[in-house]
Amino acid sequence: MEYIHQYSWIIPFIPLPVPILIGVGLLLFPTTAKNLRRMWAFPSIFFLSIVMIFSVDLSIHQINKSFIYQYVWSWTINNDLSLEFGYLIDSLTSIMSILITTVGILVLIYSDNYMSHDQGYLRFFAYLSLFNTSMLGLVTSSNLIQIYIFWELVGMCSYLLIGFWFTRPIAANACQKAFVTNRVGDFGLLLGILGLYWITGSLEFRDLFQIFNNLIYNNQVNIFFVILCALLLFCGSIAKSAQFPLHVWLPDAMEGPTPISALIHAATMVAAGIFLVARLLPLFIVIPYIMNVIAFIGIITVVLGATLALAQKDIKRNLAYSTMSQLGYIMLALGMGSYRAALFHLITHAYSKALLFLGSGSIIHSMETIVGYSPDKSQNMVLMGGLTKHAPITKISFLIGTLSLCGIPPFACFWSKDEILNNSWLYSPIFAIIACSTAGLTAFYMFRIYLLVFDGYLNVDFENFNGKKNNSLYSISLWGKDGCFFFKNKMHLLGLLTMNNNERTYFFRTKLDPHQINRNVKSITRLFFYITFFGTKKTACSSYPHESDNTMLFSMLLLVLFTLLIGAIGINFNQEGIDLDILSKLLIPYIDLLHQNSNNSLDWYEFFKNATFSVSLAFFGIFIASFFYKPVYSALQNLNLLNLVEKNVLKKTVADKIRNVIYDWSYNQGYIDAFYGISLIASVRQLAKLNYFFDRQVIDGIPNGVGITSFFMGESLKYLGGGRISSYILCFLFFLLIFLVIFYYF
Amino acid sequence: MYLIFITNYFPWLTIVVVLPIAGGSLIFLFPHRGNKVIRWYTICICLVDLLLTTYAFCYHFKLDDPLIQLTENYKWIQFFDFYWRFGIDGLSIGPILLTGFITTLATLAAHPVTRESRLFHFLMLAMYSGQIGPFSSRDILLFFIMWEFELIPVYLLLSMWGGKKRLYSATKFLLYTAGGSIFLLMGILGIGLYSSNEPTLNFEMLTNRSYPLGLEILFYIGFLIAFAVKSPIIPFHTWLPDTHGEAHYSTCMLLAGILLKMGAYGLVRINMELLPRAHSIFSPWLMIIGSIQIIYAASTSLGQRNLKKRIAYSSVSHMGFIIIGIGSLSDTGLNGAILQIISHGFIGAALFFLAGTGYDRLRLLYLDEMGGMAIPMPKIFTIFSIFSMASLALPGMSGFVAEFIIFFGIITSQKYLLMTKILITFVTAIGMILTPIYSLSMLRQMFYGYKLFNTPNSYFFDSGPRELFISISILIPVIGIGIYPDFILSFSVDKVEAILSNFL
Repeated sequence: MEYIHQYSWIIPFIPLPVPILIGVGLLLFPTTAKNLRRMWAFPSIFFLSIVMIFSVDLSIHQINKSFIYQYVWSWTINNDLSLEFGYLIDSLTSIMSILITTVGILVLIYSDNYMSHDQGYLRFFAYLSLFNTSMLGLVTSSNLIQIYIFWELVGMCSYLLIGFWFTRPIAANACQKAFVTNRVGDFGLLLGILGLYWITGSLEFRDLFQIFNNLIYNNQVNIFFVILCALLLFCGSIAKSAQFPLHVWLPDAMEGPTPISALIHAATMVAAGIFLVARLLPLFIVIPYIMNVIAFIGIITVVLGATLALAQKDIKRNLAYSTMSQLGYIMLALGMGSYRAALFHLITHAYSKALLFLGSGSIIHSMETIVGYSPDKSQNMVLMGGLTKHAPITKISFLIGTLSLCGIPPFACFWSKDEILNNSWLYSPIFAIIACSTAGLTAFYMFRIYLLVFDGYLNVDFENFNGKKNNSLYSISLWGKDGCFFFKNKMHLLGLLTMNNNERTYFFRTKLDPHQINRNVKSITRLFFYITFFGTKKTACSSYPHESDNTMLFSMLLLVLFTLLIGAIGINFNQEGIDLDILSKLLIPYIDLLHQNSNNSLDWYEFFKNATFSVSLAFFGIFIASFFYKPVYSALQNLNLLNLVEKNVLKKTVADKIRNVIYDWSYNQGYIDAFYGISLIASVRQLAKLNYFFDRQVIDGIPNGVGITSFFMGESLKYLGGGRISSYILCFLFFLLIFLVIFYYF
Repeated sequence: MYLIFITNYFPWLTIVVVLPIAGGSLIFLFPHRGNKVIRWYTICICLVDLLLTTYAFCYHFKLDDPLIQLTENYKWIQFFDFYWRFGIDGLSIGPILLTGFITTLATLAAHPVTRESRLFHFLMLAMYSGQIGPFSSRDILLFFIMWEFELIPVYLLLSMWGGKKRLYSATKFLLYTAGGSIFLLMGILGIGLYSSNEPTLNFEMLTNRSYPLGLEILFYIGFLIAFAVKSPIIPFHTWLPDTHGEAHYSTCMLLAGILLKMGAYGLVRINMELLPRAHSIFSPWLMIIGSIQIIYAASTSLGQRNLKKRIAYSSVSHMGFIIIGIGSLSDTGLNGAILQIISHGFIGAALFFLAGTGYDRLRLLYLDEMGGMAIPMPKIFTIFSIFSMASLALPGMSGFVAEFIIFFGIITSQKYLLMTKILITFVTAIGMILTPIYSLSMLRQMFYGYKLFNTPNSYFFDSGPRELFISISILIPVIGIGIYPDFILSFSVDKVEAILSNFL
């Protein structure tokens, strides 16, 4: 089977024809290309399936032999510098490529339906295939230059896809923010690459590691410079994987279409940063300082992501913060040196999160028919609720995704997260405590989402009564025209607004938690809604969300299967003789700082001890979430509860204060965006203004000033030499007078 | 006749230089029969010239030879020892091809021009000659004459077909460049008349000469000022935004695509080749100025409201990379600089062309007035996005390769200390963050959003086949160089080695 590996350089190029063809078609023959639109989905899925088969085959070979195939050929030849292209297939590459292709195929199938009514359907598929190309190129690349090239291309695809609905100003801002933030990371990556090249003189991974290790052991390099370079390299990962200081782009990136959020901003592209760190781990591992930095950044991100996810209203933003937190876990695992756990969690998290995002896409899709195509509303969890009845399959798959992410045993994420948590106890108790409590938080916010979306009653009708943007006919349809046809039916409810005003203000005054008010008011407004319901019977059919189409459900159900079963590849019990642990086999030369002396497999007792602890934490989080967010079914009951709480007023105010602080912190995204806005963006603007002023007034002012002075001199000379005899005589007499005065007095 | 074509002694370069202006002067003999004939005639002349150039370079130019080829020597003025002397080497072949390519496309882009069509097209052809002239001349005085000759058509093109402030900017351009030319002339006369009774104006003989250090530095400063105005290097850059802001977009294409490159070419050709000792003294300063220029121009570009001025500042910023590459004194860096000359020639010209076509439809110049253009004009949007990406050095496009090689040039340069290299690289790389900010926000302000226009006769049609053809034919080399940079590098590698051997 050697020949397969010789041709595996083709992996990234297999999906490439699709974007090229679509691009050329759209530019040159737009009408023909658009007529064939649904046809284009097939080749993209087909090509990606070929890649998947290819990569599965490669990974089977990896399991049996664990060879590293690497072929190199030159790109530019220069005397000093030769840039080379090559590919490197090892276990990491095969894992990543399987991950990318499986999630990619499912997302393609899903988005065929999800985007079917969109005018940019073709563009979407072109971008998506381009993304797959560059992501596959990234994971198969064999040197740092190639990594950088595909790294940027992936970033560009992300930019294009976030700004896919470019008529939305928010999306326009979000995509620029994402690109610039990623560029900050690329800045570090580029400088790191240059620095490493300067130190070692090579960009090829294996040469690089070898030379680097030799240099470190022989103490031939300036350790400070080495640390600086490694930090700069890590900068790239920070930006791409949305780690702490540069995470600001990820929540905003949710402006893109939901399949994109599933593929790029949850499963694959954000894993690129992890991939880079994993790839360069042999380099980082010889500098303990860097490993500590990685773990530290990881743990900060874990906590930050989890706390920020606590009170988001937008379902996708919430999931984005959860992604950030989980990526923090993976980064933490890498920083601790447990390579296997990190990759394991990367895989399980990718499938679970893709499932969650696809589920949320299905929810959004069904909500859009009611509230219209405004992301403010269709993604607003406050307006959802009670979708269990209307979208049962979505509910089940979403629940499975949620449980998996919370770390409930049979599902995928449990196994990997448990491993990370166990390893963190070995690394440092403080980190472990933080990580474990965050696992509880994870369960809390995930179940908050689940309960808000699927439990209780539909809250859409409440929307008409909650103040400011009533009946927002403002929301523009995506492509600027043929908008707002779903809003017509809301007009009938307008009359009720004034009637309900008193109640509304009353409820807002008494209670602080907006979600609970929602339910209160909802149960009352529901009555009114039913009154008007008969008046608007024609549009009534659309006032309930419906289950998504089969294509969408199909890919979700496949992901459910993955979520159920993927955990099996990494469970390591060696006792029974049957070795299920494919992952360990794949990663035979894997690096593990923590288990160096003990054997790899844990025994049952220890495993159960740890597992019960983490699972009980998760259940604790779920319990709290259900206490807070379990809907109360009638206004009467709610009042009772209110009275119960009312009794201990003092406690309540303190608790409310704490809750408000957390809520504000989380809702304002930890004030980090605001801080960046004030400090960085404003200062760059100021600099631009200053430079503009300087350029106009000083640098340009000098030649202009010279011009004007010479102009005036010329004018005055012209005036003097204007050929008027009288002025000559005047001048002559004047100077004569002066002369005479001087002559007489001195 | 056939024999003439296959020998080396056929005056290829003379024909290439003279043909456009000779053909152009025939335009005035044409009967008054509308603009169409003139247009197609001009394009034909441009095409023929481009094809001739390519043919000559394909069959009579050997890439592996760092010496001057296709030489021609005709005595022009006897007592002054002044020759009509042409010849090309690896350094000039790229810019000449670029000139032919961009000028032909600019002529095609100038289709909508109807006012004084004869004069306009004659001037375009005169520009053609005037631009190829400096790149191919091997006599330093001839270089100067060609350099000056090309100013006249630019001035006329600026002052007759431009925006509202066109006279101001045309005058500014002329005064700036003429001011620079004084230094150029003084330098040339100084070099030519030094230490002998007979003036030597031949490049080959000048290359092997050495001067006292003080004199060399003096010459170097003179040339540097002349080329700094043209290139432009801060603080001599302010003519550029004004000129680009006012000129018609076909003129802009020539200005951004070729004219700026003449400054950089002159820096390599005269300052590096003839005055190596002074260059090695000045090169750290060049690096510093270059890195400052990148950041300064990028952040100034951010503050511009005018679309064309923003692109103009972006090209000032990109020229900084060339200066750094020239200053880096390394093989890689200089190759990168030459690649950047070619690459920015394409990208800058394309951006100005697209901005111009956008202006033709919208009649708006200020970015904050625009918005939502993507829906009526998806093709322009697509191509503008692609070129913005190219301008911010996206991998796969030529800009990336050039900037990347220049970065490597800084790192591998053996002349500088580690600390200076780190600092320069760091500062230059900050430009990498600033570039997407201005170019993407330009893209966002123009195309994203949903603004509805209230401009009179606001019917927009998307770019037609002509405009699409122009943009795609610029796009192909941009991507081609980005994927296979050896294509351009193979021209210059040997020559660069030869130049740099003077410095060791």
